[in-house]
Amino acid sequence: MLRDVDLDLPGGTATCITGRNGAGKTTLLRIATGILAPDRGIVTIDGISAPGRWREYHRRIGFLSAGDRGLYARVTVKGHLEHWSALALIPRGQRKQLVAEAVDRFGLTQLTGRRADRLSQGQRQRLRLALALVHRPKVLLLDEPRNSLDADGQEMLSAAMTDVLRRGGAVLCCAPAGDEKLDGFDRVAVIEDGMLRFV
Amino acid sequence: MSAICQYAGTVAATVKRDAAVFLSYRTRFVTQILAMLITITMFYYVSKLVRPGVVGPDGKYFAYVVVGIVALAVLTAALNTAQLIRMELLAGTFERIVISPIGPVGGVVALMAFPVLYAIGLAGVMLIVAASVFGFPIHLAGVPAALVVSAVAASAFTCIGILFAAGVLAFKAAMSPTWVIAAFSILGGIYFPLRLIPGWIRWFSDVQPFTPAVDLLRHLLLGTPAVQPVEAEMLKLLGFTVLLMPVAVMVLTLAVSTSRRRGTLIEY
Repeated sequence: MLRDVDLDLPGGTATCITGRNGAGKTTLLRIATGILAPDRGIVTIDGISAPGRWREYHRRIGFLSAGDRGLYARVTVKGHLEHWSALALIPRGQRKQLVAEAVDRFGLTQLTGRRADRLSQGQRQRLRLALALVHRPKVLLLDEPRNSLDADGQEMLSAAMTDVLRRGGAVLCCAPAGDEKLDGFDRVAVIEDGMLRFV
Repeated sequence: MSAICQYAGTVAATVKRDAAVFLSYRTRFVTQILAMLITITMFYYVSKLVRPGVVGPDGKYFAYVVVGIVALAVLTAALNTAQLIRMELLAGTFERIVISPIGPVGGVVALMAFPVLYAIGLAGVMLIVAASVFGFPIHLAGVPAALVVSAVAASAFTCIGILFAAGVLAFKAAMSPTWVIAAFSILGGIYFPLRLIPGWIRWFSDVQPFTPAVDLLRHLLLGTPAVQPVEAEMLKLLGFTVLLMPVAVMVLTLAVSTSRRRGTLIEY
């Protein structure tokens, strides 16, 4: 599906990748997360590859998949964040603070005790974003992150992306072709016929 | 050491989450206790039909079968993890486990903790009910050692569960463990002694950890003589666990890497 993709994400930059449905945007992100193994080539962060040092690599990435899946229906917002912060290997002493920050950042304060299946679509998306960011990743990978977000939610997303960039991290965001909100990105690229082309 | 502590923390967090999910279904625990009571009651009366002396002194069949059933419950919990993985795949939550620093292999093992621990707890409740209501002759002096045997046996059963989980990740088939559980119940000596089954199939009892686990638990909980020397049974059980663990983790790792290459790791 993808051919000869060569992509560098310098620290402090946000890159947006667009393309038609089925162009390979999600495939690219899944390769970057290590969910898919590329036929050829390698993905590294700070010289670390996923197969070689899974733990160190995945501590550095935050990933939001497309859609609204990936939540446990009967687990509360706080329960999700606490569980993920443990899975993300956040030191115990920092978990409480980082979870509180994520809750605050994505406007989930009033919803901490609410189960995921009782959240609206937009609230679910904010929780999913909070999960992608709670461990302060160095590289943020976002697949159609604005799904179901209202204006406030989109502002929260922008603020969170800015925070990653300020910390010297990088953002890679995929959006469907025709998405007009590409401002705020340092670079925009298109995937066509399996090739990545900067515009 | 630090990595082990970190991993233990993720297992504890997963147990906490699964416990929260379990408790959110308020009737589940009640229905499980009811099912357990019905099973015990049924075997209490069946035991009155069993010819004395088949499994030991008169009246021992009930105790014999109850120990077998509680051991099978723990095995069943471990094997059902494959179904849990499938549910995680369907819900899209497995993807989050895959991209976590503990990775898919560590995540799968963490997922098994709550069901297995819960099954051990429920087994304890079942034994207490059997003792207090139906006169199950519990040998209290053997309980501490039985807990140790349960922990080792649960580890061995978990390894078998990991193999099933690997099967789900590799082949995506909803491989039901029902046939394996049925095979263990017949060939592991749960309902009747192994000496009653034909010799040509009795070899099965020597190549899996379930039979020595049940034999040891019966010996410790009932105070009856062990089928084979206790040390030999314990060594056998430990040996299976020590051998199975790396094999199971290796097979699961292979299933994960194959699925990553095929692009099917989070498909369902």
